[in-house]
Formats: sequence, C-alpha cells, structure tokens
Amino acid sequence: MEAELEPRAGRLFSPAELVATRTRDRKVPQHSHGQKDFIPDSSEEQAERLHRCREEHWQLLAEERVERLGSLVKAEWKPREGIVELKSPAGSIQLFYRDLPLSIQEAYETLLSQGTVSLLQYQVFSHLKRLGYIVLRFCPSAVPSQYERQLNLDSYCKSSGKRHHKRKRSSSPWLQDKKPKASGNPPEGEGTPEKASGSCGGPSHPASGGSCLSQMSKESDPASGEGESAQVPTDAVQLSKPPSRSQAQAGDYGKAAGDSCSCTHLPRWDFTRIAFPNMASDCPHTFLPQPDERLLPENVAGREADATRWRKLVNQKREKLTRKEREQRERESRYKSSVNADREVRRCSNWQEYKELLKQRRQRRAGRRPSHLWDQPVTPLVKPDQVASAAAVLQQISVLQPSHILDGASRLQEDTEGMKIDFSVYQADAVANFKKNNPGKPYARMCVRRFDEQIPSLRAVKQLAYQSEDVPVVFALVDNGDIAFYSFKEFKLPVDIYN
Amino acid sequence: MIRIHVLEGAALVWSAEDAREIRERFRLVGTLVGALARKPRQNARLGLPLQLLPEEARLLAELGAAVLVRGTETQPPAEGEEPTQAAEVEAYQRELEESYQEQQRLAGAERGALLAQLAERIAQGRARRREQRGETPDTVEDSGLLDSPFVLPRSSMMVQLPTARQRPGRVEQVDWTSPSPDWPHAGRPAHEARYRVFRELWGRGYYLSGGSKFGGDFLVYPGDPLRFHAHYIALCCPPGAPLPLRALVAAARLGTGVKKTLLLCSPGTGGALAFTSLQWSGLQ
Repeated sequence: MEAELEPRAGRLFSPAELVATRTRDRKVPQHSHGQKDFIPDSSEEQAERLHRCREEHWQLLAEERVERLGSLVKAEWKPREGIVELKSPAGSIQLFYRDLPLSIQEAYETLLSQGTVSLLQYQVFSHLKRLGYIVLRFCPSAVPSQYERQLNLDSYCKSSGKRHHKRKRSSSPWLQDKKPKASGNPPEGEGTPEKASGSCGGPSHPASGGSCLSQMSKESDPASGEGESAQVPTDAVQLSKPPSRSQAQAGDYGKAAGDSCSCTHLPRWDFTRIAFPNMASDCPHTFLPQPDERLLPENVAGREADATRWRKLVNQKREKLTRKEREQRERESRYKSSVNADREVRRCSNWQEYKELLKQRRQRRAGRRPSHLWDQPVTPLVKPDQVASAAAVLQQISVLQPSHILDGASRLQEDTEGMKIDFSVYQADAVANFKKNNPGKPYARMCVRRFDEQIPSLRAVKQLAYQSEDVPVVFALVDNGDIAFYSFKEFKLPVDIYN
Repeated sequence: MIRIHVLEGAALVWSAEDAREIRERFRLVGTLVGALARKPRQNARLGLPLQLLPEEARLLAELGAAVLVRGTETQPPAEGEEPTQAAEVEAYQRELEESYQEQQRLAGAERGALLAQLAERIAQGRARRREQRGETPDTVEDSGLLDSPFVLPRSSMMVQLPTARQRPGRVEQVDWTSPSPDWPHAGRPAHEARYRVFRELWGRGYYLSGGSKFGGDFLVYPGDPLRFHAHYIALCCPPGAPLPLRALVAAARLGTGVKKTLLLCSPGTGGALAFTSLQWSGLQ
C-alpha cells in the first residue's frame, strides 16, 4: 500500500517569495463581487464575474503564513504530557516536535488524534477564538455552586490556589492554542502550569496547604448528632468566632485534591455518610471523637476534642441594636409575634413534630367548613384562607404549572447520555474583567455535538444545566465544517392578571 | 491524483491546487474550515483545509480521481526512533541557513539599489551638513555608505509556517468501502441513502453543499455558490419511514421563508429516485 502512494510535500516558498510577502496586501476582499445572479445563462458577463471571484478565491487560499523569525515564539509539542510548552509567554508560535517544525496539517493530525480534543471540538474552539472570545476547557469540579458564591467561597479558593503555580498535572492534559496564526496571537498560549492552577485548580488546592478552611453552613440534624464522627478537624477550633451552627469542611476539599482534576464530575459531599454533631446548648454531648481520616488532608492529624470550654463561649455576645433597629422592633412587636413565642411550638423538639403541629392546626381550622359547600360531590377549588388575591386564585387553579429547567435536576443520576460540557466561553472585553486566576462568570458554556446526532432529551438538558449552574448552556452543532449554535431559552408565559 | 486526508470521519484537503481542481473540474464545493492566512481573526472568510462532505469524498474516490489516506505517524514513537530524525533536523537547519543567506543577499541588493537611487540626494545632504559645520568637502567619504557590508539580523529573516505537510510523511490508504475508525460512514444506511441522492443530483449538473443551515440535507445550486443562490433544499426521506405532516409543513414553511423550494428525495419504484418538490402557493 505504501509503495503506491509516493510521498508528497506541500508548497515551499523560495526566499524571494518570502521576502516578497512583506509587502503583500492585508485586506481581505469580499466574497462575491456584486449581487449574486439568479440563474446561469451562459453569458459572457456571468462567466467573467465567476472567473474573477474564483481567481481571487484561489489566490487567497494559496497564500501561506510567513512571519519574521524574531516575532515567533518557539513551542515544543510533548506528546507524553499532552501539552505544548512555550519557551516564552505570548506571541505567535512556531510549533516544533523533536526539533522539526510542524505544519498545520501535521498539527491537526498529531495533536488532535491523541483523543483528548476531537476535531469537532477543535473546530468550535477555533471558530469562537477567531470571533474574539476566550475559551477554556470546562472542569466540573471547579464550578462554584451558587451557594458557594453566595458565601463568597469561590474567591477564597482561587486566592489560595495561587500558591501552587508550578504544579504539574499528569492525568489531565491541557492543550493550549496550538495553531500558529500569522498575525499576532494574544497571550492565550501561555505556560501550562499557570493555566492548570487557574481554571481547574481552584477547589483542589487549598487542602494540600493544610491550613485552609472553608465554612459551610448546614442545618445539622439534632437527632442524629450524638456520638457520630465529627467533621471538625481540631485545627479548626482555633477560630476566633466559634461556630454556632456551621462546621468546617476542609476534609472534603482533601478528597477533591487526591482525585486530581480529571474533568469528570466529582461527587460533592455525600451527606448520607457525614453527620454533624449538635453543639447547641441543649445537647449534653461535648466530647467529640476523632474525625475520619479519609476526610482530612494528608498533613492534618485529627484528634478528639472536648468542646465544653467552647460551648460556654457560644452565644455570649449580647446583640447590640442600633436605634433604628430598636425602633423597628418596637413597631413590629405590636402586630408581629415570633414563632418561638408560641408554647406549643416550643414543645416541638424537631421539624417533624413541628410539621405535625401545623397540620393539626390546619385541620382544626378546616373543621369549620360549611357543609353545603364541602359535603357535596363537587367542592370548591380554593379555601378563603388560602388565597388573598386574584393572582393567588389563578395560581391555585392553574393546570399548567410554570417549571424551571433546574427543577428536579439535582436528583438526576450522573448518566448524561454521553453529553458533557466541553468549554467555558468568556467575553474578552473590559467589562468582563477576565483574569487567568479569576475568570469570573462565563458568558456561556458549550457542548459540542455532531449535527446528525440525536437531539438531547430533557433529562440530558437538565443535567447539563445543573452542571453549569446559572450560566446558559449552548449546543454547538457541527455539520461537516458548518457550525451552528443552539440553546434553550427561559421565558415566562404572560399572565393576564394585574398583580 | 487528489489526496484526501481523513481524520475522525472528516475528509480534509490540504492542498490549494487540489481544492481548485475539486471545485473547477468536479463541481464539488466543500467547506473551508481553517483560518485564512492573510487574516486569521475573522470568520467571514476561512482558509485551508477544505472539508468535504462524506458524499463528496466518496464520489471522488468512486470516480477514481482521489484517494483517501490517513497519516500513520500519530502515535509518539518508541525511544529507538530518534536517529532517523537527526538527518531530517540537519536538513531543516541547512535549508534554514540557505534561506537566510539568500534573503540576506536579496535584502542587501535591494538596499543597494535604493541607496543608488537616492545617492545624489544623500550626497547633497552630506555636503550641506559639512558646509554648516565648516569642514572641507571630502569626496572619498561619500561612497563609504555603499561599501559597508549589509548584515541582515537573524531575527528579521522571514520564515514560512506551512499549511500543508512539508516533509513527506508516511501515509496509508483508507478503504472507503469498509468502515474504520477514521472513515465510519461506509455501510451506514443513512449515508448510503444520502449518497444516492447526492450522486443523482450531481449527475444532473447541479452544485451541492450541506443543507443543515436550512433544515435539509443538501442545498442545490444551479451554478457555483460563489455567484448563485441555492434553488432547492433537498431532504432525503428513507423509504418506508413515516413523515409526520408537522415536519413536512415546518420544512415547507422554512423553504418558503428563505425563497427556496423544498425537494423531497426518496428511492422510488424500480430503483430510480423520486423527487417531489413543494412550493407554497396561495388558495388560487
């Protein structure tokens, strides 16, 4: 087979041609000169126009990329590590593999065939980059959830990740922009170690430092608190403000670090196995056993603790209200009453009992229903105490309930029919404030698919939306080189009631 | 012989001459998917490689005008393969050096010509400056400028970043009649059906391109797409498959909205293909 195909080389410019390219035109003429014709009528004019369009087309295609040697940065392709290492940051690159320069064709064939980036993904990537967006690979574990963002956790994680710049990641190859583009690349092709810590290293790094902590407020279940393994690493008790109901979760970040970011969806904390002890004053248990070592980072040793001393310090500080707040409280006390002031509510010791109490109260109220309305086969749809406005009535009797894409999404299992989010796309303008270590919220997230594949089921769309939190997910469909972008948009059906 | 490089099921053409032949001689359009060398940061006009539809590649292979190949140097080689590279590296370095020398010579000659052109003005300027400074005119010094050897700094040398493969690499032919990881289309019923329609319409003299932008399988042009708009949106309907009226109406509406006629293509009786065109007409 190989003997029949004689090796063929591409076009090589002579030195004279190379020098001549310095003065070539930089403008790109438009596609078709003038309006297109409707039907071919074998006229001279049409043939002439077609000929001109075609000549120009071939002339543009035949041009090659020629650059000053001084403005090129040498870049080495390292297949074993799956990265391209640049000798110096920024600039147009000349790609080398084992000391020989690679042509673009060879770059396509060798770099793309490794399996980490498919040709389709590359086509979408280059399309977006040419439009000026910043495109990064998507790493699910690095997405701060909305809750974490509320607590301002993500900025904390990112800043502590800065310490681990040169950390080499062997299991997750990072491929930079590897196509040598002639006119000036912006600094996307930067050294891989920095990128590795930037977009994916966020949550996994803090634990290896050992002293980083993150706080997660979680409703602790008082009933199951006694005697179970505490997740409070004893280093955590050095906090100046004693946690009243929040526990430190450094252990889980340790879990994430051990599993180096391999771009699979890491499970978040498994609350069925983690229990939180009750540290409130009504619970007599003050002895905390040693925490489970699997949940702690490597260089942190857990030990048992006696929390008696801490308990005495809890809730000591008297709340100081400003004058405005005091006045507001006074006003409100005239008509508002705290739920906890009710004796029956205080008697409930957990949520279940409280819900029972509420149910009983409702039923008692319901016992006062007029029989001519409620004992018939056809009963009213709404009760007087349930609705206070026309909009509420409409809500009660509506057949179609509005639903959000994320409804029920957290309960879905992991299987997404092979679909995953491939890229995060950021806008590169001054407003977006993109920084390598702190990219901020992306403009959209891309899922690259072939055009002739099945449309995603609602289940898959929900799962992708859940992975992407509040950033819209866009499907980039590639049909033999043509790319089209599709996404689902939220909208609300208009309601014909003035609320 | 046109060479089509297959990569993950995509048929790519890297040579500008081959692309020209494909379009002008064989009436096949394809899509350009690379960045244009002259102006890479835009999407209005793209450059090589040219990606062909699987149907286009198969047609060329069937006509015997092209051969499907696959590069074989995709895996990182074992440790013992280093020595063969040394010769190539040396050759590359030599070429680079020769190019540099030649560019230096050319640049020097250019500079010399430029200086000769402006020699008079330079001399005049010199004389004027010397008068201002009050020195005696010295004619020997004038020609000094032209004699100093011109050295082109290495970093100013122009270097080509080639698009197509420069060094002949090992390639092996891909059989388009049997499915393989790089060419999975062979034997797939959807591909076969589309190919039949493609071949038929191409045989009638039309230009065809991908139709996903308009909700169909192909766009049918009366002439080169550079100069003509498409007339039809071709939709391939597999035999026996149900075609819900909703889908039909949607497709016909779309066609009308973009001023094209919808063409339903399906294998008809007796092995020939049947074409049905839909045009939205009024009540009259």
